[in-house]
Formats: sequence, C-alpha cells, structure tokens
Amino acid sequence: MKKQFTFVFLISASMLVAHHGNTAYDETARVRIKGVVTEFIWTNPHSQIYLDVKDSSGKVVNWGVETNSPGILTRAGWTRRSLKAGDEITIILCPAKNGQPVAYAGSGDPGTKVIFADGRELDFVDKTIQ
Amino acid sequence: MTKSLGIIVIIESILGLAVFAQPPAPKRDLSGVWAMQRTPEVTVEDTQSPGGEIPALTQWGKARYDLEKPGYGKRAAPGGNDPILQCDPMGFPRILYFPTPFEFIQAPNRVLQMFERDHVVREIWTDGRPLPNDPDPLWYGYSTGKWVDDFTFVVESTGYDDRTWLGAVGYPHSETMRVEERYQRVDRDTINFTLKIEDPQAYAKVWIARPRVFKLRPKAEIRQGYCVASEENSFTKRIREPGALSK
Repeated sequence: MKKQFTFVFLISASMLVAHHGNTAYDETARVRIKGVVTEFIWTNPHSQIYLDVKDSSGKVVNWGVETNSPGILTRAGWTRRSLKAGDEITIILCPAKNGQPVAYAGSGDPGTKVIFADGRELDFVDKTIQ
Repeated sequence: MTKSLGIIVIIESILGLAVFAQPPAPKRDLSGVWAMQRTPEVTVEDTQSPGGEIPALTQWGKARYDLEKPGYGKRAAPGGNDPILQCDPMGFPRILYFPTPFEFIQAPNRVLQMFERDHVVREIWTDGRPLPNDPDPLWYGYSTGKWVDDFTFVVESTGYDDRTWLGAVGYPHSETMRVEERYQRVDRDTINFTLKIEDPQAYAKVWIARPRVFKLRPKAEIRQGYCVASEENSFTKRIREPGALSK
C-alpha cells in the first residue's frame, strides 16, 4: 500500500510542472553528458554552460547548454561562481532534436540538473517557495 | 473503541486546521513579491499567455496572426520572429505570465507593479482618474485601479503598443485593446487572479483568461532581469541558431 502511494505521488509531482516548451529541444528525453566546463555565462535571460565532452570515438566536442536567467538560478541556490572553467561535471539535459551539441537544462524541465565529480548536485528547483 | 476513534479524528482535524489554515489577508494591501503558481492544466499553448479559450480572430486579427512565427505551441518552428528574441519589450499582459515574479509596491496615488523581466515598472493609478480617451500607445499600457472591496483590487487598462504579442505562441492585439484584471487576496499568501481582454479589432468576442493563482514569496527578491540585445544575440548565435538548423 505504501509503495503504491509513493508511485502515485511521483506521477502527480511530475505532472505539476509545465514543460519549458521550446520546440528545438527534445523535452521528453533526459540525457546525461559528462565533460569539463569551458565557460559559464551568467546573463539574462539565458545563462549558458559550455563544456568539452568526449564522444565515443574520443573526439572532443564543445557543447552549449541553455539554462535559466540569473534571477531564476539565484532562487534555485546558484551563484555566478557555481561553475567555473575546469570543473568536471555531469549534466542531465534535454538535447536538441537536430543532433547538434546544444541542449536545455533548467527549471522548465524537471529532472535536469548538474552533478559534480564529488556527487554534489545543483538543480533548478525554486528554494523560495514556502 | 468507535468513540475513541471519533475523538482522535476530531483532535486530528483541529490540529490539521491549525497547521494548514492560512493567516488572513491584510485589508487593501497587495504589497510583496508574488509568483504565479504553476498548475497541471497550464499547457504549452498557455506559455507566457493568458490561456483559456481563445476567441475567433477578426480579419484584421488573422492577418496579424499569420505574420507571427512563434517558437512555442502548435505553430512553433525553430527561429521565428517573436519580438522578445531581439529583447524588444515583452508587453502586457504577456509579462504577467512569464515565469519570473513581480512585486506590488503601494504608493498614495498609485500601485506599482515591478516585474523582474526587464525590471519593468508598471504604474496603476489609484487617484480616481479615468482612462484616457485616445492614449499614446505604450509598451505596458495606461492603467487605473480601484479596490472594490477590502480584498479585491480591479485594474482597467488600455493604450497598448500593438507590436507586442499576447503570448509565446503568438496572438496579436490592437492599440485599443482593453484589459481588466482582478486581484482577489483570499488569504495572506494567496491572490486569485482573473483577466479578460476586450479587443473587437482583433477578436470576435471577449477573451476570458484561464484563472491563475499568485503566491506570496517573502524570501524572493526582484532582480534586475534586463534582456540585453548584445548578450541575447551572442546566445542566439551560439545556441539558438545551431538548435534551429534542419537535421
């Protein structure tokens, strides 16, 4: 009985939040990429994370990840120093539908987040909600 | 046994009410930072938009609608000509539905609505003046407001620049659009919000927006969320355009 309750709760929680809705990204997918941060751009309305990612053949590709505005990120607990060049991170993101190395990770798509090499996580959930 | 169960239920109900009952709303006061609550019925079609049942477009409205190439919704295509891609003003009421908060600041003769997006300050005059007959079109219109009871603030507005869209999925309006907003503070933390748009030049009948709820956010502060064209152009070149290339 308890298990069933937990399952139902998870489904409801995922339905509570609308998608980001940008047609360029596959928002049904949650893809995990691992790489080294090359730039973290803290600008409005789109902050951006760039990282070098090794593909399966060993070739390094620079990915660009769209994320939220500094306002939304601040309320989710981020600062402009949350990421810096050289950080090894994993990002769970929604990739572009066209296969280009660009993607979205932010408050519009629940489940997207950044995970550091030591296991620490940064998500996009608003921490000011009472 | 039944009796003791009954007592437990009663005690739990009282405790539950004590825990969940919201403090009452202050009278004639909307001060504070508010954020729209996201709800399951809000779909992509409602993105940055009043939502609800959208009335039929007039011929003028349809011609304008056909020129819009939104990035969201059923007509969405990568790229597009949404004015905000150039950091042009988002306009009203679209800014109200954008997923960043706003703050109400009450002054003696007006209520200020300060939005995070572009740090827009909208003046809502409360000194009894009427709406102007032939106002200059403004990005955020010309607004007057009044308390119709101790907890309900009603805003009437017109004079909107018609280059703004009503949402991220498109939909036009004319310069003579009139908007009525109703902010009903039902407890300290909650505003029930309704909005209607009368724009006979663009729509065959009144557009009643999907009712929304704003929640008080005492821990949130309004940041200076300016859209800066040079930064947005750089973002467009590095991420938006590659994402819009055909396969």
